[in-house]
Amino acid sequence: MNARNRRSAAAIVLALLLLLIAPRFLERGTLNDLWSIAFAIVLASAWNILGGFAGQISIGYSAFLGIGAYTTALLSLKGVGPYWTLPLGALLGAAFSYVVGLPTFRLRGPYFTIATIGVSEAVRVYAAGVSYTGGSSGLRMPPGTFDFGRDYAAMMILAAAVVLLSLWIRSSPFGKALFAIRQDIDAAEALGIHSTRVKLVAHAVSAAIVALAGGLFAINFQYISPGSVFDFRLSLSIVLMPIVGGIGTVAGPILGAIIFSYLQIKLLSTPALRDSYLFLYGGLLMVVMLFEPRGLVGAWQRLQGLVRPPMRKAMPRA
Amino acid sequence: MPEALLAVSGVSKRFGGLLALNTVSFEVEAGQIYGVIGPNGAGKTTLFSCLVGAARPTAGEIRFRGGRIDGLPNWAVVSRGVVRTHQIVRPFRQMTVRENVSVGAHFGAGRRRGAEAASRVGAILEKTGLAPRAEALAGTLTIGESKRLEIARALATEPSVLCLDEVMGGLNPSEIQGAMSLIRTLREAGLTVLLIEHHVHAVVGLSDRILVLNFGERIAEGAPAGVMRDPAVISAYLGEDAPEGTPS
Repeated sequence: MNARNRRSAAAIVLALLLLLIAPRFLERGTLNDLWSIAFAIVLASAWNILGGFAGQISIGYSAFLGIGAYTTALLSLKGVGPYWTLPLGALLGAAFSYVVGLPTFRLRGPYFTIATIGVSEAVRVYAAGVSYTGGSSGLRMPPGTFDFGRDYAAMMILAAAVVLLSLWIRSSPFGKALFAIRQDIDAAEALGIHSTRVKLVAHAVSAAIVALAGGLFAINFQYISPGSVFDFRLSLSIVLMPIVGGIGTVAGPILGAIIFSYLQIKLLSTPALRDSYLFLYGGLLMVVMLFEPRGLVGAWQRLQGLVRPPMRKAMPRA
Repeated sequence: MPEALLAVSGVSKRFGGLLALNTVSFEVEAGQIYGVIGPNGAGKTTLFSCLVGAARPTAGEIRFRGGRIDGLPNWAVVSRGVVRTHQIVRPFRQMTVRENVSVGAHFGAGRRRGAEAASRVGAILEKTGLAPRAEALAGTLTIGESKRLEIARALATEPSVLCLDEVMGGLNPSEIQGAMSLIRTLREAGLTVLLIEHHVHAVVGLSDRILVLNFGERIAEGAPAGVMRDPAVISAYLGEDAPEGTPS
């Protein structure tokens, strides 16, 4: 890790420590909001490992969230301690990502994206159609499994861990392989990168993290249904957060997640605006795509460039 | 006679109705510089694509160190030690020159990590004259620098066989001299080099043997002096007496 990474890592650990002692000082409503923001950061940053670093845009991540949530709910109903179910949920999420990735990673660009939508919709329909998941009426967690303090701490730790993992990946050979795949997959293969394997690993890592978040979601909300955890709009928000913040960067998904969850919290508490958040997301997406495809991080770098021109500039000599 | 390092026998490649390569055979010995020439559309780049696994031959066999490599994916061939550069340069534009080269060092045949990778990358940047541009984004390089980056990335994969596809195209005379001396240095360091080149003088000056392709077929092969006097080669280049039945 280079000096810049070490500074960022230190800042993340410090923020985590502050967030972990925050319950002593803040009221429950604020802590709930912090939980939502951390949840969004986990989803956006995990998605960004495959979607941002490797440029493989999947709009099917609700499948992994749902697998994690249902694993936790179903096993908890069988009497397993809810936190003990998390590793299995992560494992199942990763396994499912492998099954999905094996055929879909043969596809490139928009074809891959469309395939991921199909897969996640199939999973939602399946979860709503079979009886052991409780069908479309969903599942309620067994009594006595709710412990906000514990769930809050777990979510904060998970969020910090995902961001630290992203920092590490960015500077590792694995991360270079992901960047290479994003920029020119054939050139990446021509240098010895087994692109399918690299994509499968990135997919599995991000799916496992999202499944973990799904388990924590089930514990915190005590009730899950195909309409909540397998929702297509959820898959869409997971994609929009990193895009708005700055796709393929470490800070971008965090910024996007904070803005999105803040908007959602504000909008949901204003009855007249409750259903307008999709309209707002769509508008935000269009503005970003039109004016700054690199997201808020790109806009910030451009601002910095206006104040202080970058040292190295494109200077074609030929 | 010991088996050649690289043996191509009866390789054909068909793209729909176009037979881009028609039962081409040749052998390359370890340590040779082997030139491949021919008019535009002769199938030279297709041949390289087949050699490294970027394209799968329709028929024929390619053996490297006695083992078959046709049908293997590109990354697997590279990890066995056969790599190529691209005629149309394909740098990772948003990475620095150093990062581009380190991708080759991390993957490829060497699979170096950490300080070992960094020192190899540094040495290759020096050797290819890219050290002063190491921290520049690859998208900002001139064409000459981009060509050298293609070579540097390929070298970083630690190949035994380096296939250079038109690395001198678009370069000025002094850059061509530089590229030629670089290729000689590489051979002295033990590399086997295959060379597609339009600069006939450069190929003749460098190569131990030359293969001439025309419309996907081998029309001559051998030492440069003899090949360049071959009537079939002369007519292919000057366009006289096109063989019957071939499109012109």
